[in-house]
Amino acid sequence: MAMISEQLLRYRTWHGQFQQPIYASLALARVSLRMMLRRKLFWGLYALALMVFFFFFYGQYLVVWIQQQTASQTIFLGGIPVKLENLTKFLDRLHLNGTAHTYGNLIWFQGYISTVILALAGSIVIGNDFHYRSLPFYLSKPISRWHYLLGKCLGIALVVNLLTTLPALLLFLQAGLLYDWKSYYFTHLRQLVGILGYGAILTISLSLLLTATAIWVKRTIPLIMVWTGLFVLCRMLAGFLVDGQQLSPRWRLIDLWNNYYLLGLWCLDADRESIRPAAQPEFAEALLTVTIVAMICLGYLRQRIQAVEIIG
Amino acid sequence: MGQRFLDLRDLSHYYGAFPALQGVTLQLPPGRVGLLGPNGAGKSTLLKILMGLIPPSSGTGWVFDVPLADDRDPAANRRLRQLIGFMPEADALIPGLTGLEYVALAGELYGMPRAQAQRRAHEVLGFLGLEEARYRPVEGYSLGMKQRVKLAQALVHDPVVLLLDEPTSGLDPAGRDAFLRLIEELGRDHGKSVLLSTHLLADVQAVCEYVVILAGGRVRGEGTVSQLCARRHDRFRIRYQGDPQRFRQALQAKQIRLLEEADAGEFRVAVPDNWTNRRFFELALATGGVIRCLVQDDETLEELFLRLIGN
Repeated sequence: MAMISEQLLRYRTWHGQFQQPIYASLALARVSLRMMLRRKLFWGLYALALMVFFFFFYGQYLVVWIQQQTASQTIFLGGIPVKLENLTKFLDRLHLNGTAHTYGNLIWFQGYISTVILALAGSIVIGNDFHYRSLPFYLSKPISRWHYLLGKCLGIALVVNLLTTLPALLLFLQAGLLYDWKSYYFTHLRQLVGILGYGAILTISLSLLLTATAIWVKRTIPLIMVWTGLFVLCRMLAGFLVDGQQLSPRWRLIDLWNNYYLLGLWCLDADRESIRPAAQPEFAEALLTVTIVAMICLGYLRQRIQAVEIIG
Repeated sequence: MGQRFLDLRDLSHYYGAFPALQGVTLQLPPGRVGLLGPNGAGKSTLLKILMGLIPPSSGTGWVFDVPLADDRDPAANRRLRQLIGFMPEADALIPGLTGLEYVALAGELYGMPRAQAQRRAHEVLGFLGLEEARYRPVEGYSLGMKQRVKLAQALVHDPVVLLLDEPTSGLDPAGRDAFLRLIEELGRDHGKSVLLSTHLLADVQAVCEYVVILAGGRVRGEGTVSQLCARRHDRFRIRYQGDPQRFRQALQAKQIRLLEEADAGEFRVAVPDNWTNRRFFELALATGGVIRCLVQDDETLEELFLRLIGN
């Protein structure tokens, strides 16, 4: 027995087959996701995202239930009779009715939570690779910098989609089951495509943006500051310029979050007049802005991740 | 089998107009090779070319018959890098991962299937004495453990070649000895060809069978340690019986360089060109003494290194 255990401790050869480098990207994504899910600090944010989803989920159910249960009745609230159409009109303002705005608003709220999570997780997933000089570990392997980037972005994409696209799809599924599913799923196919499109826009944009900013600043606090500047201060500035100073709606293009929202609603085929606030740039302008930001991020990443730097 | 570990033919690389490597030609057999050189010698450039990170400006090369290739030929580049296990000088650890996760991830990045990478990570960590620490985060490891886990991630895919960049950096003497023994065992008992890039001559002497000395982008010396150090025909070890001070003065008067004077009467000297051994005896006679021993002396690796760098 001693001889067998001694043999087990000795070095053994390996004669397996190597896989394609794309599997390395998948491994990177899995590890990145694991590192994000491990942090107990994020569980509170995941719980918040879950609460938001439940609000939409049960809210949509409530609207349909009210309409079906009280179709010909008068409701008394505190002894005051309230007509049903007034009550459902109030609920319709929340757009919990299986329309484009239902999914747009859900993704909007969930997207903000995922943005907060990404700001906190950016240094863990990417920034630390540069701060603690872990890049040689990755780029000395038979993968290119694009496989490395793909892996990191996939990990971020998983988080974004778990918080936005997946809940929206569940909401779409629920709406079909609450209404007449035979007609709903076919007549609202554009919304299904729109959910996937809005999710894709957020996934690609936020992945690239987070990767670029995390590599730039590396640490959590600076990353939060940059993220706050991008998604809070720019938003406030855009609102001040367009709504306050009555400048051209094109100034709203500096609000990245609004650009994503506009493009999402275009994917969802929402009526342009129903978008709030009203003064908005064109969809094409928003798309151009988002594309330019993504190209800048890609260019920065190409320049910043150099395999030759792994040997000093 | 006749395969060469490294077969480099007139390899050169220029950063703009600056020649980082010039006409490097090496044919090295499998084994443990030390790559010595001062800062700016071209070691890093050579390592980058061997890893396929940059292409040579001119020349060709093979590592165990696999041609050198950069990322312009992704398939060939991948084949080259899968042949090599690289242990970087930098920290290169991932905070938040355990030792097992770190090494298993390395295996997957090399292209191993996930289950095999995990199994292999257990084996390699056990072989390197980290089996009890494998479930601990790597940031909590001691320096010696960190170096071993870095070696583990280089070893996980069972490469033919190990490329180690300053592997004993930061280790205490005991840790350094243990690590060097590991490297020697991997080379001697497990058939790995090791290229040890370092500026520590003692590491090379302890582990390597073959030494390549780079300076100014050129190969200044190559061979086994004993071959390199035994190539001096101008050095002698003399045992003199008589007045050592008189003999020393006489040597110095003849422009003979005194390298070392050990015990009284024991001299290591370097003679000028056209010196003949007979003249030692004439000097001894003139100073009233006798030469008891006159043998050709090897220089140490350090002396060789400093001489080559100085030239």
